[in-house]
Amino acid sequence: MRVSIKTDWCRSLLALLALTLAGAAAADFTVTDVKPKFIGQSLLLAGNLDLSLTTKVEEALSKGIPLEVIVDIRLYQQRRWLWDKNVASWTLHRRIQYHALSGQYLVSTGEPGADSSESFITQQDALKQLGVFSDFRLALSEAPAEGNYLIEVRANLDIEALPAPLRPVAYTSLAWHLNSGWTTWKVVH
Amino acid sequence: MESSALNRYVTRYVTGVTPLAVLSVVLIAALLMMNAATQNSALFGRMYSVLLLVNIFGIVLLIALILLNLFHLIEQYRARVMGTRLTARLLAMFVLLAVLPVSVVFFFSIHTLNRGIDNWFDVRIEKALDDALLLGRSALDALKQDLVKNTQEMVAELETLSARQRAGARRSELSVLNALREQYGITELTLFTQDGKIIASSSEANLDASTLIPDRPSDAILAQIRQRLTYANLDVVGKVGMRLRVVMPVQAREIGAPVRVLQVLQALPARYAKLGESVQSAFAEYEKLVYLRGPLKFGFTLTLSLIALLTLLIAVWAAIFSARRLAAPIRELAEGTRAVAAGDYRTQIPVTSHDEIGILVESFNDMTHRIHRAQVQSKRSQQEAEIQRAYLETVLGHLSSGVLTFNQRLLLRTHNPAAVQILGADLKDAERKSLAWIGEHHPALHAFTEAIDHAASAGQAVWRAQIQISSNNHSRILMLRGTQLPSWRGNRGGYVVVFDDITALIQAQRDAAWGEVARRMAHEIKNPLTPIQLSAERIRHKFMRQVDEAERPILDRATRTIIDQVDSLKSMVNAFSEYARSAQMQTRPVQLNELVHDVVELYKNARGAAAAGVVPLHGAKKGKPAKGKASKPVSTKLDLDAELPVISADSGRLRQVLHNLLLNARDALAGRPKPEIHITTQTVKENGLAFVELKVRDNGPGFPEPLLAHLYEPYVTNKEKGTGLGLAIVKRIVEEHGGTIQAENLAGGGASIIIRLPVGDLSVRSEAADQPNGVPRADKPTHVKEGI
Repeated sequence: MRVSIKTDWCRSLLALLALTLAGAAAADFTVTDVKPKFIGQSLLLAGNLDLSLTTKVEEALSKGIPLEVIVDIRLYQQRRWLWDKNVASWTLHRRIQYHALSGQYLVSTGEPGADSSESFITQQDALKQLGVFSDFRLALSEAPAEGNYLIEVRANLDIEALPAPLRPVAYTSLAWHLNSGWTTWKVVH
Repeated sequence: MESSALNRYVTRYVTGVTPLAVLSVVLIAALLMMNAATQNSALFGRMYSVLLLVNIFGIVLLIALILLNLFHLIEQYRARVMGTRLTARLLAMFVLLAVLPVSVVFFFSIHTLNRGIDNWFDVRIEKALDDALLLGRSALDALKQDLVKNTQEMVAELETLSARQRAGARRSELSVLNALREQYGITELTLFTQDGKIIASSSEANLDASTLIPDRPSDAILAQIRQRLTYANLDVVGKVGMRLRVVMPVQAREIGAPVRVLQVLQALPARYAKLGESVQSAFAEYEKLVYLRGPLKFGFTLTLSLIALLTLLIAVWAAIFSARRLAAPIRELAEGTRAVAAGDYRTQIPVTSHDEIGILVESFNDMTHRIHRAQVQSKRSQQEAEIQRAYLETVLGHLSSGVLTFNQRLLLRTHNPAAVQILGADLKDAERKSLAWIGEHHPALHAFTEAIDHAASAGQAVWRAQIQISSNNHSRILMLRGTQLPSWRGNRGGYVVVFDDITALIQAQRDAAWGEVARRMAHEIKNPLTPIQLSAERIRHKFMRQVDEAERPILDRATRTIIDQVDSLKSMVNAFSEYARSAQMQTRPVQLNELVHDVVELYKNARGAAAAGVVPLHGAKKGKPAKGKASKPVSTKLDLDAELPVISADSGRLRQVLHNLLLNARDALAGRPKPEIHITTQTVKENGLAFVELKVRDNGPGFPEPLLAHLYEPYVTNKEKGTGLGLAIVKRIVEEHGGTIQAENLAGGGASIIIRLPVGDLSVRSEAADQPNGVPRADKPTHVKEGI
């Protein structure tokens, strides 16, 4: 028993080390296509995130563990001589959960207007829905000035949202580190 | 220097109690929270990861601190610092005592924990939950089938309706929907076009406003419908709860008419919904638990391991701390003992506890305190004895009486300076010597030692004796008083002998007696002398012419003899009265050298005149020998100290002293082949006092030996016609001036008279020098040789 704990310890330490060295090394999430567009005093986002899960995460999902995906979006204004100016940033939480009784996957995208959650028979459909941005509106504090704008998008699995007992495992296992890394997209006026 | 101080500071801080205690408390708190987090506590759930990290870092820090402590201890051990061996042994013991039980408890806890967690999951419960879920699903399926069947009927109704009312307004569709909804007891009934636009909708009246807009099927469902398929499913919508959704295409009978879509939403009956929710949540929770069994075990094991590790580390630290703490007083005691052994009795050890060690420390402190006090006491008494001794020595040293102490065997122990002075013998060699030895080596003290020996052998405790000793032609009368010292420890005590030179006292008594005799004699004799003389002169005057020629010479001789003898008698009486006259001193500053010059000058002049009566003294006046032997002039040699200080004296009396001395010398030199008088003055310092010394020497026959002891007594003379008052008067005048006189015979023949007169203080001297009429000091020494 003690031996196994020791190996676990070693593994956890190694994992922590690996984490700090290469955070985005095991990115199973990818930001495939984002089309940002300014509409008035808001940013309209349309795009697709490919949120494919590893088997371990899939298993957890099918066992009723809710998963939360964090989508970080940062808006930058390009400047010629200076570094890009961070205009705004948003953090979106999207959630997927298995409903045993109905045998469906419930997805809540947090998009305003639409119902808070949708149910899907297959996991694939649910994940697809989870990654879809169909004209998602992000409010800006003021209308954007003229110029070139960029957005950076990143999607990752929120380990902190997992049940506490799972967190050490998640932190120490690469299978749980799903992160797309930052991708950059040009904003259309 | 600075870095070492910093190092010490850091070491003290890092190896101290506070950082470890604080760290331990923090870690225990973090572990408690982590434990709560593991059990799904909402409060600490979010902080779980942070807590875990904090704990891991804390434990690493704790390990570092403990290692540092151990390193420190090992360093001290190697440096052989007092007490580290004991500390190390205690530490090893404590660590062993702590580690063993913690390890055992940890092992069994892990085992029990894993078994316990496994026991949560029962196959039967799992089966039952699966069955319950299955049952629920079946029930829902049945409901769904019913609803599908009803929907099919409603679709058929709608199809026929559309055929009948071709030009049917929406209104009629709505009323049909309403009718159908009421007929089948449906929650919401909506008719869409194929692309999802609402044609008509009917819903239960009691629904709130938010549901006024009919629920639209998703695009996926619509796509499915377009393929002429029926959609039937359970919707799990957060707000509304569970409801059944059936979507079915409504075919148009007419060719070319658009296919419509009917959506039936049926809320589950409350009972169903509740039960379903319950089954769902229980199943989901259980599934989650089953899934989390591994991680949970890992979490618990991790927490437990951390707790065990923390406990262990705190125990080790506590072991280090308590071992140090236990060993500290012992170490201090050992150091204190070492210090005491090295002679430092002021060592005091702080008492930190009230147990046996505390008592030991207190006793040690008490002991060193007592020793220190005793030491101080003995030092103080030694000092006191020293002071006492110095005091006694000073007193004895300044005592005018001579003091000698002897031990019980009559060996000389101590003596004071006055003793040396009185006895005129150096007693330094005589210390620890017997009386016999002293008598042998100092023959002059024979009478003295004999007297002591006699008294001591007689066993007298207190005795007195008067003895006479003589040394250097000088005889002294001593008064001895002996006292036996108190005995000590059964031993007979020694003797202390105190003695005084009472020669002067006896002399003074004699002088006083003689003075009285002289005064009375002068008084008694002088009175009849004048009538006798007058009568003799009258007889001579009256009868000189009346008597016969032949008898006349007889009368003349007889009367002349009477008159001469009376005259002589008168002068003798005058001398006596002079001697007996009480002192009436008239002191003023006098330069002795000047006085000597004056007197010597007088004699020089007197010789030239060769007349009687020039010399103003009676005794040797008009003496025939002086006149007769004037052919041999006495040469006077002066050797005067130019630096001679002025003294305060009666110059007339000092002049008389000089006269008397010179007359005496001249008389003594009568008939000598080469008569010479040598007068010397000089300054002498003795016992811190300054004296002016006048020395008058002649090369005559010297004083006759029998006379030497009584020189200054009246009527002591070897001259035919001397009254014997010359030196007596000299001595009296010298003593009136506070001086001393000493007479001795010179080894090469001749006599010497030494007079010492005290020099007054400086003020007197300077006053004398400033006086316009004062006697000027001789500037340089004069060496004159002249004849008298």
